[in-house]
Amino acid sequence: MKKIKVLIVSISFLCVMSCKKNEDAPSVDFATLKTTVLADFSSKVAVTIYLDLDNAATSLNTAIQNLNTNTTEANLTAAKTAWKNMRNFWEQSESFLFGPVEDNDYDPNMDTWPTDYVQLDSMLTSTNALSLADIQSATLSLRGYHPIEYIIFGNHGNRAAADITARQKIYMLSLSQDLANTCHALYLSWTSAPTNFAQQLTTAGVSSTVYAKKQEAYLAMVEAMIAICEEVGEGKMKEPFDAQNPAIVESPYSGNSTTDFKNNIVGVQNVYLCKYGSNSGKGLKDLVASKNLSLDNKLQNQITAAINSFDNITAYYEVAIINQKVQCQQTMAALATLKATLENELKPFIIQYIQD
Amino acid sequence: MKKLYIISSISLLVAFFTMCNKASMVDESAYDERLSGGSSTVFDATSKAFGHAFDGLNNRDAQVHELGDGAFGQTFVAAPALINSGLGPVFNNVSCISCHHNDGKGTPTAGFVNSSLLFRLSIPGTDVNGGPLAIPNFGGQLQDVAIFGKQAEVNMSISYTDIPFTYTSGETVTLRKPTYTVTNSYLPLPANYLISPRLAPPVFGLGLLQNIPEQTILSFVDKNDANNDGITGKANFVYNAHTHKTELGRFGLKASAPTLQIQVAGAYNQDMGITSYVFPKESSFGQSQSDNINDDPELADSILDATIFYTKTLAVPARRNVTSPYVIQGKQLFMQMNCSGCHKPNLQTGVDLNFAALNNQRIQPFTDLLLHDMGNDLADGRPDYLATGNEWRTAPLWGIGLFAKTNGTPFYLHDGRARTIEEAILWHGGEAQKSKGKYTQLSKADRTKLISFLQSL
Repeated sequence: MKKIKVLIVSISFLCVMSCKKNEDAPSVDFATLKTTVLADFSSKVAVTIYLDLDNAATSLNTAIQNLNTNTTEANLTAAKTAWKNMRNFWEQSESFLFGPVEDNDYDPNMDTWPTDYVQLDSMLTSTNALSLADIQSATLSLRGYHPIEYIIFGNHGNRAAADITARQKIYMLSLSQDLANTCHALYLSWTSAPTNFAQQLTTAGVSSTVYAKKQEAYLAMVEAMIAICEEVGEGKMKEPFDAQNPAIVESPYSGNSTTDFKNNIVGVQNVYLCKYGSNSGKGLKDLVASKNLSLDNKLQNQITAAINSFDNITAYYEVAIINQKVQCQQTMAALATLKATLENELKPFIIQYIQD
Repeated sequence: MKKLYIISSISLLVAFFTMCNKASMVDESAYDERLSGGSSTVFDATSKAFGHAFDGLNNRDAQVHELGDGAFGQTFVAAPALINSGLGPVFNNVSCISCHHNDGKGTPTAGFVNSSLLFRLSIPGTDVNGGPLAIPNFGGQLQDVAIFGKQAEVNMSISYTDIPFTYTSGETVTLRKPTYTVTNSYLPLPANYLISPRLAPPVFGLGLLQNIPEQTILSFVDKNDANNDGITGKANFVYNAHTHKTELGRFGLKASAPTLQIQVAGAYNQDMGITSYVFPKESSFGQSQSDNINDDPELADSILDATIFYTKTLAVPARRNVTSPYVIQGKQLFMQMNCSGCHKPNLQTGVDLNFAALNNQRIQPFTDLLLHDMGNDLADGRPDYLATGNEWRTAPLWGIGLFAKTNGTPFYLHDGRARTIEEAILWHGGEAQKSKGKYTQLSKADRTKLISFLQSL
């Protein structure tokens, strides 16, 4: 009998111990995960996208130089492709508009909208040298993507190589060089001194001078995801839609608006899943799934639904706001749903589970 | 038995009065210290912290706020244009957001695309409304940028001189004093011109400040320093160009704007060269470079109103680390040294039946919205209505702990000369001299506590 008692006690003890172990195991993983997710986001998503952007900017600059030297339709097409390719990376990176991209004004320096036709024309007709220095000191609407887009695409891509004037060529050379410089500086701001922002993010809550707590870094990521959903759903799409004014739509020359919007949300997916191109790592999804699988499912589904909804908008966006209203509204609704989940569920999740 | 009655009676009385006491005043500790902006305080300490709407706006209001948010970020272009038309011809920057980075404070440079510093201009004397006397061909503000083909009114050159400061305990800090030099003036300026540098301030919580009852602000005025704390405080009374009346000034670094409508429409007009129903004349009206295009007002009434509404409905970020002993002790020091004499911690907003978020809210802006003499070192020497050249409006301190987040590199004070909160404190003089003096006598540990408190705002 005594043996049985001992056995019962032993089994109970074992049960209790094993229970304890089961409770402990995930929390240890979660603690490691909190560090890994920041490191993986920095290296596998952010820095990689900025490197791709940097390279794409160099390619665009080369394509523009080729177009200048040899103004053929083939070279114009190559420049257009290079512009769209670069835009692809930039729009994805807009899902994490925090850190140097905002602190150092890289964003307005390269992506200010609308185009200032009056100033553009008066600059082109002037005797200004249109040198790199002139562009760097020019007002924001005369710099960056959109003046290049205007020169190489014309209205909805109808620009012919022969129509590009000599002055426009000088201007576009300086514009693309300026853009390449900005993108390179942006990449360096994440990878080297003095800012080395990737390191600031990775060491959040340890030695980072920007993020005293890991929670701050996570909230910066989540707030940026919320902000881009808002920017697309309540700004870029909604403003021209509500006003029924095609003139407000960004990127009309290349007809790239809807692709731009979609890439913004693909960017949200990159951040959430920590997946970009062939890179993948531990992402917010891993943190969420380890504590709240249904929230993870919900977020993944809503992100996918929002991304896919853009495919229903088949016309140019400035046309779609007039004749594909339902499709536009469906996408804006999908973005509002996603934004609400990020704001009302993901953000509280971070605050609850990441307190250091 | 008699004793029992007496004891019982006394106990009852004590209990009764204690209860009365409790019922008549709410213990300070009963309030949630984090709620800087009352019930609609927003919990976000990231770079986006200043950009949130009040929670619970109805659909229509949320839509107007969004419209205003969009307008706040719009880049203006030279007229004529299909959208955002009317920039300049002379201006300081191209959009609201260019100066108010992340709805916050900006960079103390002038004339560059990311510059947030502008210069008000006048000559001695007052205009018919008691305001600063504008200079012919320049107006009341220097526009240091121009659209292509026009000339900026001036270029501003900014240099700094290092001024070392040593605490009694031996530690040193280097302050920097700015010098502003006007160059390349498009026409000669009169010799007696006065300039006042102004760094774009944050734009959140302004609806709450607009709803502080006038009598509350005026109750802080202590003209003859009756309590002998060295602080007097003065209300600015200024001309409202829309109502054509003289009103209490609340906004702007010298409280020279009575309402958000005047502040926002004035910024459109003077900073960007955009005309509206409030200010229908170009900032360059009557000058040789004026565009003379018949397109005024350039801004749709609804867009101006939406932008005003946006600034009115931007929520205040919550305080952080309020339970940290360092922060708590820092706040005690702040009160003991009478920093709170001007930077009033708690104010109560008035009634606003349209907005629960503005209605009767207990807020912690850390300002009295009054003018104070800040000493010669901070003086601009340029009167602005009743504000003398030494006086500035008490800056609200809410959100200052987040400037590094919203702005990348933080800058403080009216011209952004201070790079740290410590430097900003050390620049205080005039009515703040006593408090500053006490601060400089603190031990290093106590100074750190005070800064920790300020960083929690």
